[in-house]
Amino acid sequence: MGILSAVALLALSELLGAPVQDSSGASRGRVREVALCPQEDPVRVASFIVRTRSGDRLLASASVELLDHHGLRAATEAAAWPAFYGSTEGLLLLERDLLDQQIIDVHGRKVVRVNDVDFLEEQVDHHVQLKVGEVDVGMRGAIRRLLKGIVPRAALNALVAKLPPRTIPWEFVDLIETDPARRVKLKIAHERLARLHPADIADIVEELAPAEREAVFETLDEEVAAEALAEVDPKLQVSIVESLDSERAADIVEEMNPDAAADLLADLPKETTEEILDEMAPAEREEVAELLGFEEDTAAGRMTTDYLALPPHATVAEAIEHLRHFEGDVESLSSIFLINGQDKLVGTVPLARLVLAKPETRLSTLQSEPLLSCNAGANEKEVSALFDKYNLVTLPVVDDQGRLTGVITADDVISLLRAKL
Amino acid sequence: MKRRPKWLRHWKTRLLLLLAVIGPGFITANVDNDAGGITTYSQAGAQFGYSLLWTMIPVTLALIVVQEMASRMGAVTGKGLSDLIREEFGFRITFFMMLGILLTNFGNVLAEFSGIALSLELFGIPKYASVPVCAVIVWLLVVKGQYKSVEKVFLVASFVYFTYIVAGLLAHPAWKEAARATINPPRLSSFDNRDYLYMVLGVVGTTIAPWMQFYLQSSVVEKGVTKKTYAASRLDVVIGCIFTDLVAWFIIVACAATLFVHGHRDIQTAADAAQALRPLAGDYAYVFFAFGLFNASLFAASILPLSTAFTVCEGLGFESGVDKKFGEAKAFYWLYTVLIAVGAGLTLWPDFPLLKVTIASQVVNGAVLPFVLIFMLLLVNKPELMGDNTNTRLFDIVAWVTAGVLILLTAGYLWTLFT
Repeated sequence: MGILSAVALLALSELLGAPVQDSSGASRGRVREVALCPQEDPVRVASFIVRTRSGDRLLASASVELLDHHGLRAATEAAAWPAFYGSTEGLLLLERDLLDQQIIDVHGRKVVRVNDVDFLEEQVDHHVQLKVGEVDVGMRGAIRRLLKGIVPRAALNALVAKLPPRTIPWEFVDLIETDPARRVKLKIAHERLARLHPADIADIVEELAPAEREAVFETLDEEVAAEALAEVDPKLQVSIVESLDSERAADIVEEMNPDAAADLLADLPKETTEEILDEMAPAEREEVAELLGFEEDTAAGRMTTDYLALPPHATVAEAIEHLRHFEGDVESLSSIFLINGQDKLVGTVPLARLVLAKPETRLSTLQSEPLLSCNAGANEKEVSALFDKYNLVTLPVVDDQGRLTGVITADDVISLLRAKL
Repeated sequence: MKRRPKWLRHWKTRLLLLLAVIGPGFITANVDNDAGGITTYSQAGAQFGYSLLWTMIPVTLALIVVQEMASRMGAVTGKGLSDLIREEFGFRITFFMMLGILLTNFGNVLAEFSGIALSLELFGIPKYASVPVCAVIVWLLVVKGQYKSVEKVFLVASFVYFTYIVAGLLAHPAWKEAARATINPPRLSSFDNRDYLYMVLGVVGTTIAPWMQFYLQSSVVEKGVTKKTYAASRLDVVIGCIFTDLVAWFIIVACAATLFVHGHRDIQTAADAAQALRPLAGDYAYVFFAFGLFNASLFAASILPLSTAFTVCEGLGFESGVDKKFGEAKAFYWLYTVLIAVGAGLTLWPDFPLLKVTIASQVVNGAVLPFVLIFMLLLVNKPELMGDNTNTRLFDIVAWVTAGVLILLTAGYLWTLFT
């Protein structure tokens, strides 16, 4: 059991270049880097890289007995510090990997640049343990780094203390590592990022450089990646999908709504589209391939094939049973469509009516009047006019024989109208 | 019901790709012919006739080399130049670099607004009307507009530079002599003339400016150019640089054929040059020249504050971007607004020493440029950043020689200013 006591904050910029004494009290060198070993502990400092006259040496955090603004004192002889040959495998170097780099602030949902890192000090047994407390992204860190070594420390600290802090707690920091091998070693996963709303993930991803975007999309869960991808600017969608290998791209595209998937694939080069289609499961591939055959600026080009259609004589209970097994995106589902034996559209039942009705009620008695639909070849203007006039949430699309071929949802119409604003 | 035939889609995507990519390089290179540029080129022609035309070919090559590096870095890394400097060289260096850029660019913004004032005075519009109106237009263009439409406006404005070519044609120059002067290297003895050397430095200095590299790289990133689509971007840069220096060539030729030939060799501003052209080359040449100056000044006055705000905010880690709301990117919009307001405001100040400020801004410009070039060369040769897109040896030699010559010229330029 050690005596745990948290002391004042210490900044990375103050630590870098600080003198290091060994157990004899002689000054042996200066701190060059501060390293974390995320596989063992994602918060505690594992070691310091010390630049000495005989080359760089690795000083384990456990052998540091005293640490403050004046520097470090080790409990061991300098000769006992192993030489550091530059292999940083599995190490997160705070100066190199964090300072001045971009990180994702998961809590604030944006991309920010690191100005400094603040540590918490703990006294554990006979040594000092440093914990990463928060990342400084504000004026404090900026001014400290700008004036360090130019203004006396006391004056600088007094000045910095007056500035409002802008920091991100370490647990809300999401690191972006573009090298897949290193990412695994450093245990960087985007778990917290994945919990954000897809639209927020999309906004964050748009702020990043292409390699970083790719890194994020490689590690996100397929379902989350698909939802986020659908929200990203179409031009970026294309470059992201092109940067992924076709198997991974197919996994993500499979999870997207068929209409969004078709829109995306239509913008890709032909070979890429085919590679991705080849990798997809047959059912999804067929749906998307069918949608790909339509002109983009018609009703058919905007529709999704994720809908539920039942015969008119089905009951509410049967309908709810079908809903339970519905595989598409439930959020965009607001009506059930009624089709006869020839697949012709004969009615629309809003989900709300279904919920309010008794289980044995026939769907045909719950239809909305009038029966609205548009032809697959209808243009965007006609479609949005129908949505406006009848305050629609969904609109079925039929072919020339009146057969149901797909559904347009209001969110697509809104995106369309916004794009024209 | 089928999508368009394959060949049409293919053809359409290729054309769209080219149109989508053409822009940043073309715009950047053209903004280079701003009020300061036109003044320098006019003076070069008026003072030394055709004898400075030889500078155009080496200057164009240097411009292409430097701008190609900037756009390549943008396409490969997807990051702006100030982002990269920050990530690779740390906060302090970035801060001083941004301070330098801010000072230089502010001086240039002042020069652009005085260009607007002078050019519209030639059409009888007093500066107290023209400058505030243009400042408001420039401000609204970005704050209330969308980046895409703004860029289209700039792209169209680029073509107004054809007016200088027309002005050059109307001046009836001695084509053979001009062509010969362009390809013949200068006699070494001409460099003994201090004013001549000074003007060579001026031409080079005005053609390759530090802020352009930051602006170009950011626009390439903003445009979403990637390694794959980069080939078209390179073409964009090359075309832009050649067109720019073609315009510069015509400005020199127009002034050489009229002002130099008729002994009208001492002009102070580009507006002086337009005024002096009138009796010599006719009313049309005068109108084209004056309108060209107005367009160039307005164009640069729109881009410079924007580019400055982008560069500084990127480097120091403030949020930036014209697609963000005022509240989301306060530092960005404030910087942009203050640059325009103070730039335009000082132009209206009755006794403001415009000429001195312009010269001072060029001193800072010259002092910052070598640093920018060295940083660019260090960055573009980092394999961990650029992968296999680092400079080839030949390109490296050309670029280092360019940087070296520019540093020597800048040092010489500073020397002449202080002696």
